[in-house]
Amino acid sequence: MAWRIGVDIGGTFTDVALIDEASGQIGVVKVLTTPHDLAEGVVAGLSRALAEHAADPAGVALLSHATTVVTNALLEKKGAKAGFVATRGFRDVLELRRSSRADLYDLFQDAPSVLVPRRWRFEVTERIDAEGRVATPLDEADLDRVIAAIRALELDTVAVSLLFSFLNDAHERRVGLRLRQELPGVGVFLSSEILPEIREFERASTTAVCAYVGPLLASYLGRLETAAAALGLPAWHVMGSSGGVVDIAEALRMPALAIESGPAAGVVAAALAGEDLGIADLISFDMGGTTAKASLIAGGEIAVTAEYEVGGAGHLKRWLAGTGHPVRVPVIDLAEVSAGGGSIAWVDPGGALRVGPQSAGAAPGPAAYGAGGTEPTVSDADVVLGYLDREALLAGALPIDLAAAERATGDRIARPLGLDLIEAAAKIVEIVNNSMAQALRIVSLERGHDPREFTLVAFGGAGPVHAAALADELQIPEIVVPPAPGAFSALGLVTADLKRDYARTFYAEIAGLDPARLAAILAEMEANAAAMLTAAKIPPGRQALLRAADLRYRRQAYELTVPMAAGPVTRASLDALAAAFHDRHRQTYGHANPGEPVQLVNIRLTALGRLKRPSLRQQAGPARAPRQRRVWFAGSGLVACPVLWRDGLSVDAAIPGPAIVEATDSTIVVPPSWIATVAAGGYIRLRRT
Amino acid sequence: MLDVAAAPARRPKTDPARFAVVKNALASAAEEMKIVLAKTAYSPLLKVAGDYSCGLFDAAGNMVAQGPDLPIHLGSMPDAVRAVVARFPEILPGDAFIHNDPYHGGSHLPDVNVVMPAFYGERLLGFGCVRAHWPDVGSATPGSYGAVTEIYGEGLRLPPVRLYRDGRPDPDIEALIFANVRTPAERRGDLAAQVAANRRGVERLAELAGRYGADELVQIMDEVLDYSETMMRAALRTLPDGEAHFADVFDGDGIIAPGAEADEPFTVRLAVRKRGDAITIDFTGSDRAVPGPMNAPLTVTASGVYCALKMIADPKSLIPPNSGCWRPVTVTAPKGSVVNAEAPAPVVYANHEMSHRVADMVMAAMFALSPHTVMAASQGTSAVVTFGGLDPRRGERYVSYESLKGGFGARPTKDGINAVASTISNMMNTPVEILEMSFPLRVEEYALVPDSGGAGAWRGGLGVRRVWRVLDHEAHAAVCCERSLVPPFGLAGGRPGAPMRLKLELPDGTTRPLNSKGAFQIPAGGRLVLEAPGSGGYGPPAERNPALLREDVVDGYVSEEGARREYGREPD
Repeated sequence: MAWRIGVDIGGTFTDVALIDEASGQIGVVKVLTTPHDLAEGVVAGLSRALAEHAADPAGVALLSHATTVVTNALLEKKGAKAGFVATRGFRDVLELRRSSRADLYDLFQDAPSVLVPRRWRFEVTERIDAEGRVATPLDEADLDRVIAAIRALELDTVAVSLLFSFLNDAHERRVGLRLRQELPGVGVFLSSEILPEIREFERASTTAVCAYVGPLLASYLGRLETAAAALGLPAWHVMGSSGGVVDIAEALRMPALAIESGPAAGVVAAALAGEDLGIADLISFDMGGTTAKASLIAGGEIAVTAEYEVGGAGHLKRWLAGTGHPVRVPVIDLAEVSAGGGSIAWVDPGGALRVGPQSAGAAPGPAAYGAGGTEPTVSDADVVLGYLDREALLAGALPIDLAAAERATGDRIARPLGLDLIEAAAKIVEIVNNSMAQALRIVSLERGHDPREFTLVAFGGAGPVHAAALADELQIPEIVVPPAPGAFSALGLVTADLKRDYARTFYAEIAGLDPARLAAILAEMEANAAAMLTAAKIPPGRQALLRAADLRYRRQAYELTVPMAAGPVTRASLDALAAAFHDRHRQTYGHANPGEPVQLVNIRLTALGRLKRPSLRQQAGPARAPRQRRVWFAGSGLVACPVLWRDGLSVDAAIPGPAIVEATDSTIVVPPSWIATVAAGGYIRLRRT
Repeated sequence: MLDVAAAPARRPKTDPARFAVVKNALASAAEEMKIVLAKTAYSPLLKVAGDYSCGLFDAAGNMVAQGPDLPIHLGSMPDAVRAVVARFPEILPGDAFIHNDPYHGGSHLPDVNVVMPAFYGERLLGFGCVRAHWPDVGSATPGSYGAVTEIYGEGLRLPPVRLYRDGRPDPDIEALIFANVRTPAERRGDLAAQVAANRRGVERLAELAGRYGADELVQIMDEVLDYSETMMRAALRTLPDGEAHFADVFDGDGIIAPGAEADEPFTVRLAVRKRGDAITIDFTGSDRAVPGPMNAPLTVTASGVYCALKMIADPKSLIPPNSGCWRPVTVTAPKGSVVNAEAPAPVVYANHEMSHRVADMVMAAMFALSPHTVMAASQGTSAVVTFGGLDPRRGERYVSYESLKGGFGARPTKDGINAVASTISNMMNTPVEILEMSFPLRVEEYALVPDSGGAGAWRGGLGVRRVWRVLDHEAHAAVCCERSLVPPFGLAGGRPGAPMRLKLELPDGTTRPLNSKGAFQIPAGGRLVLEAPGSGGYGPPAERNPALLREDVVDGYVSEEGARREYGREPD
């Protein structure tokens, strides 16, 4: 049997998902995340997964990983000591940005943060002009001084972004060569290797982001490589920010690709759920231990933005454009709030109840987990209210300490606020739900989409616990809970295609372009891409190379990407490409200028290793007898509530609320005004009655 | 302005969820208009620098939603739409109108408004309006920024005229326009982009009417205005009542009188009267109109007031900016004064130079009433630079327009921000690589200026230096700057920022200082050097946290000498 394995590390749990390529059969293992060395949890999870499913490591076809290392390093400002080398007169480009401010009217807005402080920004005398010619030769003595300074300051990495290096990279390559030779321990990132595209600030920013996170990502992936090799597993792949997986070499060449890797995996999985069920308009909602994330899938398409900024400032829980660091790689569009099962509830000095942003994480974890946690968390409130089992979770593997949950909630919240225990827990849940509703609003309402026309796909360990309350808040009519919701993002990892994007800047007017020149470049790019896919063991029948061209009218500043036909490049195929551009321009913007010359700016090639898309199937475990416990609901208070075990429920079974449906990795809360139905493939659908 | 005492008659309110959906859909439609414009326009000023605003308006011309654009257009965009409503009693589907007349709701001639009605069937729902700054609208100076003494010399003046009928352009009007501007092919692309952006906006309005019904949409558009008004009044109520005054001196109008060596400064005065949930800004006592183009139509003056009040009353930026916001605000100025221009006074500079300064002046006056919700003076100028001539690389005419961003004022609890657009402005810089590929110019430096931020407990934001070399041709250049005479003020004991500085370096090595406004020639190989002002500091320099000062010195924001001179401290 050929298995694919995905590993998703959350703040609390490390999830391992397996899928059998032939049958679609899935398996899931959850272990606690090990923050002191994440690889430890990964090895534990992998070993258990291989053992439980009797999987032969040699038969694993794909081992894939979603990492939050890059995003976290930027948010927590824990990246490398990175230097920056610019053309003389331009070392401040990272700080001068585009000179517009993030918020028009916010008097107290912060200055955008800069990854490279001014003391570590250097200049070398050199200049390439707008035609790509050398206007001022590179001053090697200047470079001597910069190298000496970087050595003296003991910088970890250096980003180099010289003006017009996308037209002529000779100076940048020379600077790179000398830095690499003379500073062997220092990671060197050249803008002409990272993102050979026009616009000096955006190119420099993307390069600086790579230099800032590169060392962390390299040491982290290195540890994982060692661990996987010891288990006899194949080389890792990493989920990229736009929802395809890339190999490690590509991730290290361009660490910015690993931004939002974890959330991307979840959204890919949500899109797969939509495909399985024939639902095109979805809001993906992923609530884990530390954060909750929302994304929109409209008409089956995952929303992706090309203008992503990483590590920005939260403003009413939304990331403000202009405060983070632009990266010119496509990134799944998402809203994220610090709200999860582990979020700590506290009373602020003004006497107001707050939840988060601190999280108890994996250690010590919620008080109810009995691992030494004393702060009340959202999961503790869920236990007190009866949503979560009061005895054990994870099919008995995680005993619950009800007394500890009650003590934490009582001592820290109920008593100081003069509430009873249930009231205190209910308030905690209300507050965390409000903050998550905001994330859902950002991706739907704020972008002009009416949430009443969407289906909520709820996953993450805590997602299905809170989904119905959120759907009530936003009047979302239906919820889908997928199989293995607690490890659903990890499933996204094993269902995504292998994907790598290649681009080459090539300025030419289509009318005067010699087809043979373009054909030669394409042939070279395609040979590279095919070799990469073959090396990744993708059989020829599943390889796809998709050509595209970024085109514009000569005087425009932005291009439209137009697909380019496969096969020989001829005058006729170029004319067809220009015609397709006029059409696309008309469709996109409502007008076209057919008399205007069309300019080619970038040639793009996407290499896809299409993996077989299995339909998910979850092996049902043994059925368990229904139980009953008292559960609190808004509007009805504590009521006697049936508790069903998810395994063993028959397809089409209808479960009217109030009810709790428990499974190994997650709990579904069905409030009184909702009804749950069991669908094929392990899905459960909830509708309001 | 609306009478506060008269309570508007209320219909039953729309359900809150639907209100929120439609309110946000209107805002995102305005944002979409902006994207269409940026992605299809031809001139760098629009496509990369973003000198434009997009809005959706009700049938009476009230602005219901503005894209995340330029606060400078807050005051006068509604008047631009009202001018169309007033002039054309019969508006039909497929129409589009164009105008740029500051005396008919425009701001200055380079800002060209394209207004398009939105219909659902026969029903007029409202309008889209796209105001875009054209890099050239004729006149004697490429870039249309010459120092002239009548609006007739400032370029092509278009009163509201019908540009499209039945969805097709009127070839006669287009021919008239393109015969009067430099680089007509580029303008043609920009105009097509303005029409396309409007189409996107009016399509979105029609879709919303289709989904929710035209009546309900129009009612919600009304409620959006009321919503902003209610929130603005509540915000104003939280500020202390009282009256305060401020006066400031301007560099001049760009016209150097015969026999004089320098531009003649003039003064603007304002009084703020705040009571309850309403506020009046009165410019009585300001100087009379000046001969050169520093005269502001009242709507331009009002834009500066609105922007400052929004920042002061709503510092967390929660109130949607639309016409409802300004109902509690009254702006008055004597007719014929420099802040309430009458035809045919020239106006081109005042648009940004006056509104920048007015915004800072409102902050200074409000400091007396509410010192913790204002900031020290920002750069106070758009620091505009235009170049034009014949591009030797292509043999085509070109016009380049840029605006340089200096310091954003220091706040009561924070430093200012270095080199970023402040108050009424939010234009972006033109990337050096795009500029040089478009025009025969080379930028040789673009860098922060050490010691340019006003000293204070909270330091002012640094100004920026930009140096252009003219390549292989003689260029016609013009500048339009302020704050070269009186630098941006500090507050609460903070010191002023560095003033605007300008000079021309000729190929023979000689250097010539420049007046802050006006046109001149630059020979091939000559360099223009501009330093946009830093902003004022807040609080006494002696109260600066020593650790912050030390960091500033290590990073070179403050020099060691600056630390000694301005802060009286020896850097360690």
